[in-house]
Amino acid sequence: MSNNGFQPKLLAFCCNWCSYAGADLAGVSRLQMPHNLRVIRVMCSGRVSPEWVIKALSSGMDGVMVLGCHIGDCHYIDGNHRTKKRFAILAKLLGTMGINPNRLYLDWVSASEGVKFQDVVIKFVDRIKELGPTPIGAYQGVKVDR
Amino acid sequence: MIDKVRQLVVDLLDSGRADAVLALANVHANVQPYLYKKGDSLDSLALWPKYSMGPILKSIQAAQPDMKLAVVARGCDDRALVELAKRGQIDLNNVQIIGLACTADEATECECANPYPANIDVGNKVDGVASTDLLAELKGKSYDDRLIFWKQAFDKCIKCYGCRNACPLCICEECILEDDSWVKAGEIPPPFPIFHLIRAYHLSDKCVECGECQNSCPMDIPLTSLYALIRNEFNELFDYIPGAEIDRKSPLVTSLEEDPIREETA
Amino acid sequence: MSDARVGVFVCHCGTNIGGVVDVSAVAQYAKTLPNVVWAETNLYTCSEGGLASIREKIEEHKLNRVVVAACTPRTHEPLFKNTCEEAGLNRYLFEFVNIREHCSWIHMQEKEDATQKAKDLVAMGISKVQYLDPQQEYEGDVFGSSMVVGGGIAGMTSALSLANQGYEVHLVERENELGGLLKGVHKLFPTNADAHKVITPIIDKVKAHKNIKLHMPALINDVKGFIGDFDITIDENGADSEVKVGTIIVATGAQELKPVGYHHYGELENVVTQLELEGRLKKDEKWLHHIKGIAIINCVGCRNAERSYCSRFCCMTAVKNAWILKEANPKSRVIVLHHDLMAYGVEFEEYYRKAMEAGVLFLRYDFANPPEVIGKDKVEHVKIHDELTDSHLDVACDLVVLTTPLVSARDNEPVSKMLKVPLGDGMFFLEAHVKLRPVEFATDGVYIAGSARWPVDIAESISQGYAAAAKAAIPMSSGKIKVEAITSYVNIEQCVACGTCMLACPFSAITVMDSDGRVHAQVNEAMCKGCGTCVATCPSGAIQQKGCTDQQILSMINTLAEVGGIE
Repeated sequence: MSNNGFQPKLLAFCCNWCSYAGADLAGVSRLQMPHNLRVIRVMCSGRVSPEWVIKALSSGMDGVMVLGCHIGDCHYIDGNHRTKKRFAILAKLLGTMGINPNRLYLDWVSASEGVKFQDVVIKFVDRIKELGPTPIGAYQGVKVDR
Repeated sequence: MIDKVRQLVVDLLDSGRADAVLALANVHANVQPYLYKKGDSLDSLALWPKYSMGPILKSIQAAQPDMKLAVVARGCDDRALVELAKRGQIDLNNVQIIGLACTADEATECECANPYPANIDVGNKVDGVASTDLLAELKGKSYDDRLIFWKQAFDKCIKCYGCRNACPLCICEECILEDDSWVKAGEIPPPFPIFHLIRAYHLSDKCVECGECQNSCPMDIPLTSLYALIRNEFNELFDYIPGAEIDRKSPLVTSLEEDPIREETA
Repeated sequence: MSDARVGVFVCHCGTNIGGVVDVSAVAQYAKTLPNVVWAETNLYTCSEGGLASIREKIEEHKLNRVVVAACTPRTHEPLFKNTCEEAGLNRYLFEFVNIREHCSWIHMQEKEDATQKAKDLVAMGISKVQYLDPQQEYEGDVFGSSMVVGGGIAGMTSALSLANQGYEVHLVERENELGGLLKGVHKLFPTNADAHKVITPIIDKVKAHKNIKLHMPALINDVKGFIGDFDITIDENGADSEVKVGTIIVATGAQELKPVGYHHYGELENVVTQLELEGRLKKDEKWLHHIKGIAIINCVGCRNAERSYCSRFCCMTAVKNAWILKEANPKSRVIVLHHDLMAYGVEFEEYYRKAMEAGVLFLRYDFANPPEVIGKDKVEHVKIHDELTDSHLDVACDLVVLTTPLVSARDNEPVSKMLKVPLGDGMFFLEAHVKLRPVEFATDGVYIAGSARWPVDIAESISQGYAAAAKAAIPMSSGKIKVEAITSYVNIEQCVACGTCMLACPFSAITVMDSDGRVHAQVNEAMCKGCGTCVATCPSGAIQQKGCTDQQILSMINTLAEVGGIE
């Protein structure tokens, strides 16, 4: 397909206690994965402002992941409940505005799920490769291949 | 209809149940908010074109916190008052609402789906505008076509902040859309889609369907339609209509036990 | 920040990073970035040589920001922060970049891409570090008294331990007497000591201790406050009283599952649970002389779809009671039907062996083919599928004992809500970290002991009771607590007091208050746990989190957008 060779630029927000630790475990276990992802650590996925994701997607990122603790395992009781709701509505808003909501990915990865971290990263990279480069350039307008 | 409103206002003022009534007045052919007091002539009282009463009520209460107020409120005003009260911006305990249902013509002009307040004192409930040609068209579009539509629409934006200034629920004193770290200053049109998406996200649990954003937009950007779509999405996810229930918190601040996501429970 | 002087230290970690990432190239690249005045590589930045170099370079180059690109901040961050502090730099002016777990170890075959990724990550860290502010850690006073919730063996152990250290203890027990589950136990493995001989002196000590105030029967009605300063409302015999404590230990225990729906429990006479059996044995053992055949069925109501966990100690309970039954009436036949028999450690294995020597039969059953209890009104026989011979055995029985798991106490949910501590699987309490912080909650000042956390035996309950008391004594003995400066704070001029942050806070740490005529949100630093959920919910950005402000994160996003790292 036409996206051969396309290397997406991806950003992930990981919570300190679960998903970041899961990513660490993936590293300790030497689980290999594509190099496209850059991780920003926050204490809780509840800290991830949807505005950050909007900013990232508006600045040329091809996709953004938000990874937190499983529901019920949040280090902060239920911070991640808010995360789940915020990103549910944000995904709808992206779709309404014409940005494929599949460019946003929310999931839960525990500290012991290094394999799951590897798996979601591989799948997300594949998904974004399938979708192609973001139609939104860094402040430069919309590029849609017709 | 207007006579019935006049009568209710007179009753409230004469009986002392209200110190003042916030309504609209036609002053020199200009319809504007007006605070009627006992003894004022009500000849000038007007109902249309509508005006957002929430922010006016907020400033009056800030100046006169103990004043017993009444306000003539349409559906959108009613919902805005509820949302403002939930956010501590006004105190509804000292306020009586004269609920005014909109006419069918008025509802059509505003493309309003819910053209009536929770309690109707004047007028009759008419069906709202369920959908419009534009809404149907947008729903049918692919993501790419939607993006092109909104990109073209927002390319007209001159970043006057009219939509934000007119919005009764934009209550922030400092707006991140004026903060250089979010949206670079000095760029027109403002960067797409961050400017409009952040506003859309902020209003997703607050928009009361007043249409003031579009009314105030000098570039005729179809914001009413954008926010109609957003309200629908929000309601589908959370079974929640901003301004409908004063005791219900925004689902965005509660846990999943308090307020689940509807798609999952269905 | 134009006055930032950033020093960057890139670690080889031997070959762990250096074998994949071109560490020198990363350091060279860092030097080209704005406000970076020093960049170097270290074989091991965490070695004494590496740390000394950080200290020297801070002094030599007047660094006011430090970035270390090495392993995960989850392990080494405190070390490097301390090093900064030793060199006179506020420990919060430090940023850690992970180029090992998140880079070299997961891109081992892509050296160029990994190097580029390391450069991007370092650039993002350098951006963020310039927006960091020096922070002071909040310090609060700690009240020298504790509340222990639950008067079972774990709670009593904690209470006595703290009381003996001189702290005032409020022990709250919902029942009319102390002792918890242990009151109903007959004998204890592996010594076969009488349970009441063990517990009675402990109960007496608790009742007599001058530092222990016993609230019984009583429930907690309300908990306000935070570590060092909790205000607790206790409902004692229907009357509310208020107590003030610095720490709280949760020892609410658990309860035995009543296995309704399994093996005709409640339908047939002489189908009982272990605890019910022990109740009978406590009275006398004479009735046993009429019993000829006994089957004990393990793992009833657990390790299944509904309740997947193992209750840990009940295998030993089954061994204990089988042995006691056999000794009381050696002519009877006692069979333990088990799935896996857990007799871990030297003492338990020995105990198990002795039970076998005494003549207890142990037979394994498969979950797919569980034993069948058969009878009319009374148990008559048990049908067992024997795995070894793949045949069915019919064993005449006049007593069936069901070994059931402990399930969570019924009050766990309200207690968890009041204390703002989480529940995990099966509604048992969830500790801060299963290995590193087993008797603490993530909420400071609240600790956990005994079966409230997970089914444990008596010895473990006692160990955990002591452990929780020891943990609780730390802040009480110092009288001070420090809170890591990752809490939220409100920019009062920006705040319109909409209260959204207050509603979103999982810890009720935010209030809306009036100060000098300006109404605004206020964060209680001792209660704030630093999750930042409030910050993400504030539309105006009036509330921010130390070390994770919007500006700091946006600088990272902007940097990533600008660096053309991924091609």
